[in-house]
Formats: sequence, structure tokens, C-alpha cells
Amino acid sequence: MTRTIPVITGLVIAAALTIILCTFTGPAGFGFVTTAPGAADIVGAIRFPRVLAAFFVGASLAVAGAAMQALFRNPMADPYILGTSSGGALGASLAIVLLGGLFVPLFAWIGAVAAILVVWLIAGRSGVISTETLLLTGIAVSFFFSAIVSFLIAVAGQNVHQILFWLMGGFWNASMDNAILAAAILVPAGILLFLMGRDLNALSLGEETAAHLGIDATKARWTVLGGSTLLVAGAVSIAGSIGFVGLVTPHIVRMLLGPDNRVVIPAAILAGGILLVLSDTLARTFFSDLPVGIITAFIGAPFFIWLIYRRGSVA
Amino acid sequence: MNGQDPVRAQDLVAGYGTGEIVKSVNFSFAKGTFTGIIGPNGSGKTTLLRAISRVIPSCGILELDGRPVNGYAPAELGALLGFVPQDEERPFSYTVLQVVLMSRYARASRFASLSPDDYARCYHALDRTGITHLKDRSIRALSGGEWQRVLIARALAQDTPVILLDEPTSHLDLAHQAGILTLVRDLARSGRTVVGVFHDLNLALQYCDRLLMIQGGHIVADGAPGDVLTPEKVREVYGAEVVATSHPATGRTILVPLDIRNNGDGSLEKQKVLVISGGGSGGDLLRFLCHNGYSVSAGILATTDSDYAVAKALAILCIPVLPFSQIPAHALEKLRRLAAQADRIVLSVHPVGTGNYPVLEILQGMDPGRLVIHLPDGREFSSYDFTRGKAAAAYAALCTAGASCTRTCDGILTILDGNTAPPPESSVNRP
Repeated sequence: MTRTIPVITGLVIAAALTIILCTFTGPAGFGFVTTAPGAADIVGAIRFPRVLAAFFVGASLAVAGAAMQALFRNPMADPYILGTSSGGALGASLAIVLLGGLFVPLFAWIGAVAAILVVWLIAGRSGVISTETLLLTGIAVSFFFSAIVSFLIAVAGQNVHQILFWLMGGFWNASMDNAILAAAILVPAGILLFLMGRDLNALSLGEETAAHLGIDATKARWTVLGGSTLLVAGAVSIAGSIGFVGLVTPHIVRMLLGPDNRVVIPAAILAGGILLVLSDTLARTFFSDLPVGIITAFIGAPFFIWLIYRRGSVA
Repeated sequence: MNGQDPVRAQDLVAGYGTGEIVKSVNFSFAKGTFTGIIGPNGSGKTTLLRAISRVIPSCGILELDGRPVNGYAPAELGALLGFVPQDEERPFSYTVLQVVLMSRYARASRFASLSPDDYARCYHALDRTGITHLKDRSIRALSGGEWQRVLIARALAQDTPVILLDEPTSHLDLAHQAGILTLVRDLARSGRTVVGVFHDLNLALQYCDRLLMIQGGHIVADGAPGDVLTPEKVREVYGAEVVATSHPATGRTILVPLDIRNNGDGSLEKQKVLVISGGGSGGDLLRFLCHNGYSVSAGILATTDSDYAVAKALAILCIPVLPFSQIPAHALEKLRRLAAQADRIVLSVHPVGTGNYPVLEILQGMDPGRLVIHLPDGREFSSYDFTRGKAAAAYAALCTAGASCTRTCDGILTILDGNTAPPPESSVNRP
């Protein structure tokens, strides 16, 4: 499509501007120089790592969402569709309840990956794994893990706040290490998914179609699932389960640029990063550091409903 | 079986999960031929096709170009074999061109764009399938027929020596059916191996070089279309009554289905009905009884009689005689035999002269209970009499002897089905 290059260029510029401007923005005022004591530290040690972490997490969720939607041939699929968020929530809740909040990110990561593995094992018991089986198993496992999380909340006592805040997702404790970790996953996984763009296109018309077109459908499916899982698990371990970024961003990108995944994948990386940085800046600047998941849901859910209404022309 | 054939299978078994759908079949498809796979619903046609394209597992020997199909890498297989599915999900709004370009994916490097040659092949395929004007249209906005042509264009652009098609024209209108199938046949003529599953037997007859008939997972017939699709075979395999006739315009065999009525218990055991007619009086009746599932035979018919043409077209047994002549004795003898074999005899009242009067004499010798007299116009018997009263008297005698009389075709059905007495109004018209 002829507008691919201008739009991608625009997204790159917008991403750079977003990162710079949002780094200057915060409850302590706009710009490098603020009246607050230690202003330079605020910008360098708090805002900048947080903006970067939000960017990479948003990008990870959006690109994983785009890949999952193509893989499951469902534009309404979510990057958490195979239980990553509930697995991460379970891991984080266990760390909060049992370890008093130590190693929450590590446990969240383990939980997210474990959820996918459980889904994989259950769905794979019959030998040939169909996408439908995978999807349904993912939903079932999600519900089961969520039930355990609910149980933990019920018995958590004074830790209940911590669990609830984690569930809503946010970047309160984001450090430069988090940003580097997210980038370290995003760069290779993003490149991998971009290179799988054509395979994703073919897979989005069905695995048999992909096979008939000469694509190794099984290998492509597992590669995409593996890459997406790492992206989502990384995001979940850093920021909890932030909703709607991974669901809605690919839609916006496809509306602008069409569904070709060679284009959607890079565009979703940029757009997802921008959207989450903006949401997080909004949350910390104007809403006294609300969980950013509330902001993304507050904006994303109505947008999603609007999408469903005009489903005829979407995707 | 030829080792050089691009597709070759021996003792091939395929199915889904636990069930075997295709049971130990042997076949090979030669270069340059368009083979049609036909068979009733659920017989395993599509399964066979999907086994060849390796999307479902199979046992036995299956070779493409002399190599076991399982030995091919996915990209190699994609360059060798193209597949046109019946339909495909369309969850995303790709443009038509984007979908057709997917045919080139297996040959392109991940690290490069598709080449101008890839684009050229795709444009050519769009052109040949007549959908160039749709190239920038969203696939979600296409009709079923347009989408089917996109799928065919994609297989065309894939440019493979073997092409498999699963009911490629099921959504197409008449003109596009002909256009696409001519195109597919030309592909075979240019040296490709083309295999298509067909529901429409007449299309298969018209376009294929060879037909493979499948029933219950077994190949039950294999050969030239006209030899495979005989009315007997269609009855045996599909349980359908058809007549085969040669189309005057194309000279090709066409099959025309007849309506089927079973006997209420699902059986197709039919009453044998002999129709005695003449001078065009019985044409409608022959068609009507045939379409209602009776096993119909006709009596003595002059070869110029339109009834004779109807009987011939419907493949109804009759006794042809020369027109305007005395009926020979051997023809009368045949008629006696036919009458004896029939369950019921329907006499369509027709003009009788001295030439065909002996037929009425034969009928007078029969059990009148088996006889149904059809008097469509309600005219006097005397108006059919060209024997100075003998024929009219004979007709009247048949009626009074107890033959059932009716004026309508439905009346005949009632009598034949119920073995009942004729409806009361019919006696009113007795002369």
C-alpha cells in the first residue's frame, strides 16, 4: 500500500516525540528544570526509565496481540488469550501472599510461561493440536488460574491491595533494568515476528491454506506462539496485566495500513509503545498515579465496543 | 500404473482421527490430464484430495514425482502442488492482490520483498480468472463466486505442475463455470496434472478427460467419462435415477435426473407399468410415470410417432414398428410378453385403425383389473375409431369388463398406488 512508508515514518517520529515529551511531563511539572528539589533526578531516574519501560511493554503487548490475532484467525483475540495474564497474576499473587512481595516479577514471569505450557500440554494430548483446541484450553486454564487468584485475594488479608494493584497493572516501580529487560525481549522477538510476517498472513487464512502455499504451518505456529509468549510474559512480569493495548492497537494499525503483517508488526510495535506511554503519562500526571490498566481499559473498552459495532468493515 | 506419473498412490488409506474415510485405493494421475473425482456425499472425495496434498495424514504409498510425499519439505511441496479449496475463512480484509501474492511466499526470501516477476505472475493469474478489476478490493467484500475465482487465481499464480481443486465452481454462475473449467482444462492441455472433485456430474462429463468414481472410500469406476457415468452406475452408486442422452449441440453425453419416489419404506422397488399409446397420446404420460418413479415400458410405437421419441429419450423399452403399415405378428407377440411382465397396463386412448386394432384384441384377453384407461380429453370413444365401430366397441367393452378409467394423470397415480377402484367421477365419462 502506498501510504505504508509515510505512516511508518510518521509513527517513528511520533514515538520519538512521545518519549521525549512524556519524559518532560509529570506531576512535578513540565521540562528538565523544575522548582522541585532534585528535579534532574526525577527526570533521569524516575521518568525516563518509566517512559522507556512503558514504551517497550506497550510495544510487546501490541505486537504479540497482532501475532495472536493472525494466528487464531480472530481479530478479537487478545495477547493474553492462552492464559498468560492469569498465569502471571497467579505467580505474582503467590509471591505477594507467601513471600511478602519478594520476587514478584520473577514469579509473574514463571506463572505466565507456566500457563502457556499447561495449555500446550493439555491441548497436545490428542496428538494433533488444532488452533481451536488451543484457544478453548487457554480459556479454561485462564478461568482456573483466575479462580485460584480470587481465592488468594479472599485469604490475603492486608496484602489484598497489593494484589489488586498488580492485577490492574502499572509502572510504579519501573527501573532502567526493567526497560532494558523489556527491550532485550522485544528486539529479537519483534524481528522474528516481522520475518514471520508472510507466514502470519498465510496462517490467518487457515493452517491448511498456509500448508498448501508451501509454508511450514506447524513450525510457524510454534515459533509465533513462542515469541509471543516471551513478549507477553516479559510485559506481565514488569507491569502486571495491562489490558486493551494488545487488543486494540493492532486494530488501529490495520485500519490505517491494512492487514499485511509485514507492515502490521512494525507499526504495532511503534503504535503500542506510543499508546502505553501516553496512557501512563496521563495516569501519573493527572490521576495521581492510578494503575495505568484503569486508563487503558477506560479508553480501550469503549473503543473496542465501537469496533464490534462496525465489525463489517474492520480488520 | 506408470512410474512417471506425477501423482501415484498405492494402498492409500486416509481419514480423520480414528475413522478411515479413504480405504486402500490405488491410482495414478498422468501429466496433461484433467481427472475428475466424483461420488456421493461422504464418499471420501475431498479426503482423498486432502491426503494427496498432505494436510491430513495417510498410510500406504503416496508419491509425487516419484518421491514419497512425506519426504518433501513444505516449501518444495508448495512449489509442486497447488490446491483450490471449496471455500476459505476471510477474517481479515486483505486485498485480492495480497491474497494472490501469497502464492509466491514459499519461493520468496524472508529478508526480501516479492520480486517484479512474482507480481507479474499474479497479475497474469488475475487476468486469466477475470478479476483484475477486483485486485484492490477487500476480500471480505467479495461475493462467494468472486472469492472462489480469487482462490483459483492464487493456485494459478502458484504455478505448480500439479493442481488439485475441490469443487472449484460450486459458487460460480453458469458463464464463470464454463470460463473457469475451460481455463482449468487448458492448464491440463499445457502439461499440468489437474485433479478436481465434482458434484455436478454433467460438468465432470463435459470437461474431464478421465473420471474416478468413489463410493464408501473405494474407487468403483475409473475411465473415460462416458464409460464411468452410465445410468446404471449412477443408480448403483448415487441411488439416483438418471437418463443419459447426447446433447444435440455438443454431442457430449448429459445426464438428466428423474424424480424419485420410494415406496414409503425407502425401497426403490418399482411397479412395472406398460403404457399403450399412439399418435402422440402417451408422451406426457410416459414422462409423468417415469418422473414418478415407475418402471415404464411402452407398447408398439411407429418410429415417426412423437411417443417413440419420448420413449427413446427416456430410455424406455418399446416395440418400434414402421409407420403406416400392418403391425407384424412378431411385434404383437412381443407386446403380449411385455403385457404379461407388467404389473399394470395403462391404455392411453388413441386413434385406432385396422393397422393397430389387434392391440386392443390383445388387451381384451387380459385381466381387466390390471388395466387403467386414460381418457385425457373426455371425448367419445367413437372419435378415436377408424374401424367403423369395432374399436369404439372394444374400448367400451374394456371399460365395462372392469378396467379403471380416469381423465387425469393424478388419477392414474391414485389407481396405480392404491390398487383401488377408480374414482367415481371417471365413470361419468364412459360413453
